[in-house]
Amino acid sequence: MAMAALRREGRRFAGSITAPRPMPDIRSALISEEQVPLGVRSISTQIVRNRMKSVRNIQKITKAMKMVAASKLRAIQTRAENSRGLWQPFTALLGDTPGVEVKKNVIVTISSDKGPEKEVKYVILGEKAKAQLMRDSKKDIELCITELQKNPLNYTQVAVLADDILKNVEFDALRIVFNKFQSVVAFLPTMSTVLSPEVVEREAEAGGTLGALDSYEIEGGETKGEILQNLAEFQFSCVMFNAVLENACSEQGARMSAMDSSSRNAGDMLDRLTIFYNRTRQASITTELIEIISGASALEG
Amino acid sequence: MGVLPGHVPTIAELKPGVMTVHEGTDVSKYFVSSGFAFIHANSVADVIAVEAVPVDHLDSNLVQKGLAEFTQKLGSASTDLEKAEAQIGVDVYSAMNSALTG
Repeated sequence: MAMAALRREGRRFAGSITAPRPMPDIRSALISEEQVPLGVRSISTQIVRNRMKSVRNIQKITKAMKMVAASKLRAIQTRAENSRGLWQPFTALLGDTPGVEVKKNVIVTISSDKGPEKEVKYVILGEKAKAQLMRDSKKDIELCITELQKNPLNYTQVAVLADDILKNVEFDALRIVFNKFQSVVAFLPTMSTVLSPEVVEREAEAGGTLGALDSYEIEGGETKGEILQNLAEFQFSCVMFNAVLENACSEQGARMSAMDSSSRNAGDMLDRLTIFYNRTRQASITTELIEIISGASALEG
Repeated sequence: MGVLPGHVPTIAELKPGVMTVHEGTDVSKYFVSSGFAFIHANSVADVIAVEAVPVDHLDSNLVQKGLAEFTQKLGSASTDLEKAEAQIGVDVYSAMNSALTG
């Protein structure tokens, strides 16, 4: 709704001058462009005043949007930072191995609503990614989920989602791509990898970072295979929860900085317009004075 | 199981139950719905739970009601899926019950 109002005001703008030019040129250009009726003797300040009003409105709207984004960011930022602790134990146990050779790759891309033989399948969360990926890899898209941010994000929702994905998609490695939140102006596109239990077994036997996995005793009555399976599923849902939160944070941060720069631009434009308005007004007063005085002096003879 | 520094590296899957944390002389009890516990070789233990609530936040009336409800569902369940879900409910609520009483 705010965006629609912004667009309306912007359109009113599009027809008028927006670039700064030397003052006298603007005045004559203004008159010719805006089609002032012939025979009008005073220079009209109405047009400038209208423009100033619309710029002021735009500035108010963008400032409000910035406030909204800032408050949403604050709320979600603490949650995202806390949720980082969710997957850290997994990394401590299993290590982060993006370079593992696997046959079936499934890429889960998270965005806003708004080798030898390698197969790549995509699961898309969010409208933006959908638009982009539909163009290139239409046949590789397995699942598409949008409108994630309608209800406040919570773990249960993500768990259901993760369940869905795990059930429907066969994979050797799941790579989750999202924007990691570093600060309000900086976000890093990151990829986290979750390996399927079979691959974990294979890597553990081959040695390397996962080789130490065998030294862990398994407690409880289940076999190693079952535990690894449960572990992989839990790890996936934790990582996804964190990824979704971080992505939401990055989105709000980007929105906040965009609104901030546009309010600042509107402010600059308003300053320039005010100066121009004052000069126009003074010029019209001066012209009237000159006419009156020359008329009076002509009468005197 | 009890975990002290020097424990053998372990991966354990957790069932619904109570986890007690001893910090010096402070003891705090949490009810854990399920999750994993990793104990690493460097004596660092990670506990990842789906839900963890301090035991004083549990309301005994609601626990009793939930337990009764799921026991009844278990009795009337027909498909395997319903039986499994009801069984899970019974397990969790009886664990909460024993957490409150024990």
